[in-house]
Parts: sequence; C-alpha cells; structure tokens
Amino acid sequence: MLGVPPMSTEKTPLNSGRVIWRSLEEKEDPSRLQAEACGSDVVKQHVGPQELFQLNRRKFMTLSGSIATLAGVEGCIRRPVENILPYTDMPEYVNPGVPSHYASVLNVAGEAVGILGTSREGRPTKLEGNPDHPTSRGATNLWVQSSILDLYDPERLQAPTTGGARSDFAAFDKFFSDKLNALRAKAGAGLYILTQPSNSPTYLRMRQLVVDKLPLSRIAVYSPAPQSAAREGARLALGAPAHAVYDFSRAKVVLALDSDFLGTEPGSVLANRQYSTARDMESSAGSPNRLYSVEPTLSITGSNADHRLRLPAQDVARYARALAAELAATGVELGQVAGAVRGSSVEGIPEPWIKAVARDLVKNRGQSLIVVGPRQPPALHALAHSLNRALGNSGVTVTYTEPVDAQEPENFDSLKNLVAVIEAGRVDTLLILGGNPAYDAPADLKFGDALKKIPTSIHFTSHLDETGSLTTWQVPRAHDLESWGDQQSTRGDYSVQQPLIAPLWGGRTDAEVLALVAGEPNWRAYNLVQGTVEKRGFRGELAWRRLLHTGIADTRFGAVLGTAPLRDAEIAAAVQKIGTGGPLTENTFEAVFTLDNKLYDGRYANNTWLLELPDPITRITWDNAALFAPSTAKKLGIANGDLVRITRGDVSVDIVAWLQPGVAAQSIILPLGWGRTAAGKNGNNKGFNVYPLRTLASPHFITGVTVAKLDKKYPISQTQDHDSMEGRPLAVDATLAEYKDTPNFPEYKTPDPAFGPLWKMPDYSQGEQWGMTIDLNVCTGCNTCAVACQAENNVPVVGKIEVARGREMHWLRIDRYYLGEDADEPEVAFQPIACQHCETAPCENVCPVAATAHSPEGLNDIAYNRCIGTRYCMNNCPYKVRRFNFLNFNEDVPETRQMQFNPSVTVRFRGVIEKCSYCVQRIEHAKIKARTEGRVRIRDGEVVSACAQACPTGAITFGNINDPNAVVTKARNRDRNYGLLAEIGTRPRTRFLGKIRNPNPELKTVKA
Amino acid sequence: MQIFPRSLNYLPLVAAVGVALLGGGVTFGIWYYFSPKNTQLGYAPEQPVPYSHKLHVGELGIDCRYCHANIERSQEAMVPPTQACMGCHAVVKKESPKLAALRASWTSGNPVEWVRVHRLADYVYFDHSVHLAAGVGCVSCHGRIDQMDVVRQDQPLNMGWCLECHRDPAPNLRPKDQITNMTWTPTPDEAATLAQSTLKGPEQCSGCHR
Repeated sequence: MLGVPPMSTEKTPLNSGRVIWRSLEEKEDPSRLQAEACGSDVVKQHVGPQELFQLNRRKFMTLSGSIATLAGVEGCIRRPVENILPYTDMPEYVNPGVPSHYASVLNVAGEAVGILGTSREGRPTKLEGNPDHPTSRGATNLWVQSSILDLYDPERLQAPTTGGARSDFAAFDKFFSDKLNALRAKAGAGLYILTQPSNSPTYLRMRQLVVDKLPLSRIAVYSPAPQSAAREGARLALGAPAHAVYDFSRAKVVLALDSDFLGTEPGSVLANRQYSTARDMESSAGSPNRLYSVEPTLSITGSNADHRLRLPAQDVARYARALAAELAATGVELGQVAGAVRGSSVEGIPEPWIKAVARDLVKNRGQSLIVVGPRQPPALHALAHSLNRALGNSGVTVTYTEPVDAQEPENFDSLKNLVAVIEAGRVDTLLILGGNPAYDAPADLKFGDALKKIPTSIHFTSHLDETGSLTTWQVPRAHDLESWGDQQSTRGDYSVQQPLIAPLWGGRTDAEVLALVAGEPNWRAYNLVQGTVEKRGFRGELAWRRLLHTGIADTRFGAVLGTAPLRDAEIAAAVQKIGTGGPLTENTFEAVFTLDNKLYDGRYANNTWLLELPDPITRITWDNAALFAPSTAKKLGIANGDLVRITRGDVSVDIVAWLQPGVAAQSIILPLGWGRTAAGKNGNNKGFNVYPLRTLASPHFITGVTVAKLDKKYPISQTQDHDSMEGRPLAVDATLAEYKDTPNFPEYKTPDPAFGPLWKMPDYSQGEQWGMTIDLNVCTGCNTCAVACQAENNVPVVGKIEVARGREMHWLRIDRYYLGEDADEPEVAFQPIACQHCETAPCENVCPVAATAHSPEGLNDIAYNRCIGTRYCMNNCPYKVRRFNFLNFNEDVPETRQMQFNPSVTVRFRGVIEKCSYCVQRIEHAKIKARTEGRVRIRDGEVVSACAQACPTGAITFGNINDPNAVVTKARNRDRNYGLLAEIGTRPRTRFLGKIRNPNPELKTVKA
Repeated sequence: MQIFPRSLNYLPLVAAVGVALLGGGVTFGIWYYFSPKNTQLGYAPEQPVPYSHKLHVGELGIDCRYCHANIERSQEAMVPPTQACMGCHAVVKKESPKLAALRASWTSGNPVEWVRVHRLADYVYFDHSVHLAAGVGCVSCHGRIDQMDVVRQDQPLNMGWCLECHRDPAPNLRPKDQITNMTWTPTPDEAATLAQSTLKGPEQCSGCHR
C-alpha cells in the first residue's frame, strides 16, 4: 500500500527477527493499522469520538448559524486602552520582569525533594529541582512539576465552610478556640486528631507538644499509601523502626521484588539518578548494571528491567524464599533464616530465575541490592534485609537511618483503633489534617459512616472532598508552596520549606493547627520553624538566611544505624509464615492495588496535567482501567474497553478492562485514586473507584476475586496508537554483547543520509548552535519531562474527547514500544520525542506564510502570530511533533490558573500550530543576560531546556553543539548515537543514544 | 430579440476598472490608514496624573533611570512606583491639586492607573536591558521625551521599523554612558568608530517571538 514497508521482521545481524509493536491490535494485524492511518495522522480509537460527543454535522450547522447571528460585530478597530499598574510601595530587591528563585522543599510520595521555585513578581510559575539538595540534585519528578497547578486550582477551598454555608476565619477561629478551651479543661479527653505520616521535624515537635499538653487526646496516623510494611520489616530485622536508604549507584545487580523504586515509591527522584549513574555506559565504565524485576504489574521499574518475571503479588514471597534457599545452598551465610526459607513451593517459577539470579547476586557480592516494594508483607522486607546483609551489601548499597518519626504507629491499626473508638462514642471532636479517609480508607472500616457519628469534626483540606462533605467544618489547608515548614529526608538532609506565595486563601498548615491545639501563643508556622531551626543549632540571622538561601542544612540529622547483627530468630520466625501457599489455580484471580502512576492515591485527581498525561505504561488518559494479561483476557473473552465487574465477597466494582502486556496471568491490576466524586470538576467521575474492594486484612492484594464480563463498553482515550510510526525501528537498542561487537549499532538501522542536502545550507560552524541529546539507555520513561514542558510552555489541556481525536497537545511525548513475539512477556522501550529541529526541516518549506523559519542558531522557530492554520507543516513532519490548536483551549481561564502561565511564552489562541521550541525563551534570556554582562558567549549549563532540567536521570542534555566541551556535544559524539529517521535526510539536531540491555546469558531473553 | 442595449457591452470593462480602482483604493486605504505609522504614531493619551517629562527631565534634569530604574536589568523599563514620586512630592508641592490622584494612591495603596503609550502586541517580547547593553539610546525609540508635556509615541514601533535597525544598528548606537542623553550627537571620531560596529540585532523569528 503506497510503497510503505510493512513492520520490520527481516532478519538482519542486529534485528534477529524481533518484532516491534505499540499495541496488541497493531501486533496482531499490522496492515489494519496502516490502512486506518492511511493519509492521516489520526488513528481511530476503539470507540469513536462521535460516541463520546453527540454532535453530528447537521446539528453543528444549526448551532453555528445561530451563533453567527448572535456574535454580532466584535469591538472596533483601535485597540482598547492598556493600563500599567505599578507598585505603590515597591518591595526591595524586586525587579519586575526578572524572575527570582527561592529554595524550598516538598514532600512527594513520602520523601523530601528539594526544589527551586521560579517566582515572577511574587507568584511562582515553575518548579525545578535544587541542585544543592542531595535527594533532588537538580531533578524533579511528575508530582513536583504538577504541584504548581494544584496550588492555583480555582476549586480549592477558599474559606472555612460549615453546614454547607461559607463562613470565614474569624468565625472559625472563635469556634475553634472555644472548643479547644473546653477540651483543655478535660486534658484533651475526647479530642482525636487524624493525621498523615510526616517527615517534618517542626510538625513532629508540635505533635509531641499536643501529646504533652493534652495527655488524654489521641493522635492517629493514616495514609492510603503507607510505608508501614517497610518500617515493620526493618523493626523485625533491626529491632527498631528504621529507614532503609538505598544507593543504587553502587549496585551492579538490583533485584526488585514487587518494587517500583523508579516510579511511585518514595525517593524515586534520587533512585532514578543513582540508577542511571550505574546504568550509563560512561559513568559505569562500560559495565552497566543489571536489573531483575519480579512483579505482578508492568511498572516503570519493570519496564526498565533486563529480566522480568511476572508473578502474582502473593507469589513474590515464595520466589524470595526459593531464592534465599538457593543462596544458602550455594554458601551464603544466612544463619537461622536459612532453615526458615526451605520448603516453599517453586511451582510456576522458572528454575533459571532462581539459580541464575542467585549466581549473579553471589558474583556481585557487595555490589548488589535487593529491594522490596510496599505491597509485600513486612516479613519479606526483613528477609531482604537479611539477604542484603549476607551478601555484603549493608553499608554499601543499603544503609539504615533512624526514622524521622520514630513513633509513627502502624498505619492501618491506627485507623482501625480510631474507628473503634468512634463507634464506642468516645470521640467528641475529630480533627482531620489533610488526606481523604472517607474516600481511601479500607472499605470494611466504613470510615465515612463513622465520621457522621462524631458531633464535631473538622477537616483541614485543600478541596471540599469526600471527607469534607461529611465533616461539620471544612477549613482551607495551605499548599506546600504557600507554607512555612521543614522536611528531613530519610537520609537526614534537613531543609526549611519556605512559601513562594502567601496562602491564596488564608490556609493553615498542619503544624499551625497542632500549635493552636497545644495552645502555643506564637502558632504561626514561621515562628514554629524558626523555633525548630534554633533548637537544631542554627542560631542567628545569618544562619537562618543561609538555610533559606541554599535550601539545605550543611549538617545531617538522624542517626545512621550501625551494622548491629540482625535478629535472625525473629526474621526466621516471620519468614516461615509467608509464601507458604502454592500458585494460584487457573480460575483464581488476584486483585492487586497499585498506586496510580499519575494520580498516586487520588490526591492529584483534579490536576488536569496529570489527568491528561498518558499513563507511562498503558498510555490511557483521563481514566484508569483494570489491567489484565492478554492471555487471561482472551480466555475470559474480554477485549479492550469492555466493562467488567470485579467482586470480592459481597462487594463489587465495575471497571473498564484493558489488556496490558506484562501483567501476571492470574493478576488483575487495579490502579487506585480514580473514580472520585468530589475532587473538583476536572477530576469528578473520571475512571473507576477501586477503593471499595480494599480491606484492612488485604489492603495491597486480594486473592480470590471473581471477574464477570458485563455487556457494556466504555470509551477509552489513549494515545498508544497516535502518531504511529508504521513499525520502523525507532527506539534502537542492543544487548551489551552486540554493543561491544558493533559500538555504532544504530547506524545500521538509521544511517545518516548518504546524499547532501537539497539546498545550500547556512554556515553552522559559527556561533552557538543548539542541540539536544537524549540517552535512551538511562531514560526510564517516567514522563517528568513531558509535564515540565507543559508547565514551562503554557501547553494547554484538551480533555478526553479531543485526545480521542488525536488532538492532545503535549509538545514532548514519551513513546512506549513493546518488543517481542510474546504478548505477555514484552520488553519495553521508551523514547521521548519532541521537535527534532531538523536542519533541513520538511515543515519549513511548506508553510505558505513562512510562519516557521530556521534561526541562524539551528532552531526551528514558529511565529504564532503569522500562522494561519493550514497545518501543512503538521502534515509534513515525519515525526509528528507539531500540535495544532483546533479549539480555543485557553478560553475562560480562571484567574488563579492564569497566574501559573509563564509570561515569557505566548499563550496560544485557536488556529495556530505550536511545537517544542528548544525552550527558546530560556535561550533568549541567557543571551540577554550574557550581553548585559558584557560577554557574547553563553557558557555551557547556562541554558537548560525545561525537559533537560527536570529529568531525574540526566537522559536529556541540551546546549551548544559547537562547544566541544559542552555536555551535549560529548554525549552526541558517543558511538551509539543516531538521529531519528536520519536516513530520510532531515538532519535532526536532536540525537539519540541507543539503549543497551544487559541480559544475563543464563536467562532467556526476548531476543534468544 | 435584444433586451440589452449596446451600451452595456462596456459594462464588463467598466466593472473591471471600477473594481480594480475600488479594490486598489480600499487596499491602499487600509495599508496606509491602518499602518502603525498612522494608528500608533502620535498617540498621546491623557494620564491620570498630569506628569510632565518636559518639567522633570527637561528642566529639572532628572535622569531616565531615576524613575525607570529597571531598564538596564530587565525586559521592562518599569513605570515608577508611587513611592518614587512621593520621594520628592511628600515635601515639594505637597498640596498641589494636580497631584491629588498621586496622594490618593499613596494613602490608599492602590496603584496609579497609567495609560500605556508604547504598546507592543502580546506576542512580541521586547527586552530593554539588551538594547541598552548594545548601546541604543532612549531617544532613538522614544523621541525627545524631555520636550513632551504629555508623552507621545514618537516612532511607529512596527516590525519593519524594528528590523531596519536590527539589520543596521550603527546609526542608532552610542557610547553606553550617553544612553539617556537626549541631545547627544557623535563627534566625527565617535561616528567613525560606531560605523564600524558589526553588531546586529536578531533577525530570526525567535529573537522576538516566543
């Protein structure tokens, strides 16, 4: 058809017949996809957009006719008067037009991440990592980048409300102080406070103060994403709760047991950075690390693994015991634990996975690491500690620190006790500090019903959510970016959190509420933090300012726990009780609850950037889905988009099914955090709520759920097949052996063009020439760069229907490819793609109005005001990176949302094309700064594009390619570099470095 | 049967000529009357406080940078805050009725609502500091502000006008210490040195359009 070659299955020396596909439909019938995509760059979705939006041609004509008559003549010719409103009393050191940067710290997924906030005239517009902070080192993750949007969410609670009516802080403060006085008279009897786990020393100090001042009050701690298994496992092994602090940069072999350490687990920013140091061919001196992953779902970590074993979550313990038994048998000294791990069933576990992995771990003693995820029981964590110690990894790749909150109670027990007390009628006043327990507490606790029984309940919250709808008072809670506070990371790094803007709606921080409860006269968080800082030894104005300026204290806090012997007996006793069963039988299913890759536990449910970001693995937008293994789904007769009913006992949940390659055969993956009913107008009724299935007894995975296919379908908008590249090998990879044999392996697949350009090229050897290099070897597919680009460049959000039409606006997309014949056991490749800024760009010569032109520095410019919307350039781009504003996506933007827009970048109207600009506003700012400082040359590192700055692994480098010492030049001159589709002669400025896989020769791989 | 008189044979010709003339006329009219030279040049709106640059700059000799403090540091020249005015006018002419709006702003905390004279489209990103670093004087774009009672737009500020200078800045350059000097003219030596400048402003789209 039209001379387009079919999917590449030719056997070349470096292809070995590997099949590359993006979706199951494409894999099964590649020609169908080509036929559908013929001539257009939009592939029809599983359910057409017409079904989503009932407007056909006739209705449209009727509507447009009436609109035209109503519109009338707009305005007159002369532009309206524009006012300039200066300050009356200008603050010192403010330069209007020049952004300021403030160091702060956020707690993301349980770990402190140091940030630098870019603030324009007193409002923050962008967050970057703090290069001086050890847990961020200048990088961020998805949630840091998108938290700026949550700050400006217009649906945040704007005033205290009670009884459904809006009140104000004066009234609330009066009510609150009266209540507290009454409670203080009784030493706090009847006062209960439900909080979230915290790493903030100031907050913990206040908590202790409450316990001291009101000894009869009680504090419960709950989070739907607890790290309690890890804490309990460490307590089992070491005798006291501890944080396990990992150093992936020193691990040559990593075994992840149901652990998504590169994705949703705490510390993922630093983990990505460390992992990539060990993975990168240069920093690992040519011997990259090897990652084994054993998990039920295809997580980001699993997609980066060199070997992946898909096992139901309940079988991971079995596997770990079998591995430990093998290690003991080969001589690793496990003490009493060796006896405890024998005797578990190895059915369903391939033998090489036990023997070869054990051999690899032993071969790399002292440079290996076994990590366990939070879904697994504490005993497995304890076993991992024991194995790590026995393998000599303790003190090298894993160290133990005293937890910031040594007294944090066991997560689910704490909430269970609270509900019991509520049911017994002993709770007079309940304060809920953040969180949303009515939505995400284990369903059998019936927390929502219990809430209604309490006479006075006050929810300090950012939105009027499911919990707030049931409490008597709802009080605005300050966002992290508007609060004074502090954070101590698990490694002991202490940072002060300073607000980038005054609380937009006067919100209170958790520490302030506790201080008020304790009766502190100086209860403002600013004073509380200064108190903590002084107690920690930073006295005086200079020390305080230095702390605020750098964002990190120069001393570490929190004791490092030494290498005391592990409590073998306790570990052995606990390990004997896990992994005792056999594999799941063919008709038994296990439901596994996963923290959503984007919405986490549901707290980001109203964040449109995260809602619209295609899930890194499933590429679904605006919804979640129950993930089934393709073979299982076939057996059950389920196809993509079918609604299924998942039942546990007498509770069932209807959810749309999605076939996800890589899911364990008997597991059904249920992402948490969706289906909210009171998140805000963006997040309401998106996806399906699976929390009703979660119980106290099995909060992480449930064995024995039943699946029933319903006779309905549900439309899913996903970008998996969008911009399909017709099967050409684009994310080029090779095994380590192939790389050593042929270092420039990508050149054979996408060679640089043999012919010269068709027209005379400008002289690119002078001045600055901007280029980018993306190292696919260290890219983990986390999608942080995509959100960072959206934040920096005012990229709009289009909504579910428009995504179904192929009109998503992300300038930078991360393509996800599967490789291999087996739909159940794919290898995964990620490739970030943005405008390649081709030197001979096919888009530039087809624009009828020359709206897109090439700059002398190699950028492909776009002048939005000149674009008339022919979309010829979009058509001609072979990489399909141009985006068109089909609708006015910036219509009626709420005022607070407008505050986030980057003033250096145009906000585009309907009818213009936009695309990645290599962050030209940053380049121009750097040039302006250089010229005002009297120099002409821009130094390497002065200009960093938003994506490069956000990337936690350092996969993206950007800079001047004419500078031989620039990081980007050194990267692009490496042997495995290639240009995307280079053979067609576009001469892209973005070069990729091919991915290296490091398989263990003793284990089967996709290529074998 | 002829229903049309013979004279109508000339109708197509007349119509064509008429349309051409009309079209040309309309096009010329729009091109001329809608061009920035006509619509923007000379724009001198009334300001809420009748601030006279002729008095303050021309007669009193205040430098541009005393009020527009950010021109060397930022993209915006920054209209001064009320605080800058009150620096003198808390003492000088502190009862003057002309300054009533200014005093009201100072006591209430509400900004004075100045009317912007030099308006560029939202999609144009102009940066003052880099032009000053290059050596472009204030008078090159803003004209003889020191002779204006009411600030008037002195140059059309359209893209063509900007590009003229970007392509050949030498006639508009001056030594950095003469930037705010409204009456500076180069000596023959200075003129010769400046004429040799190879400096050029950006001529590509992204230089100003982001």
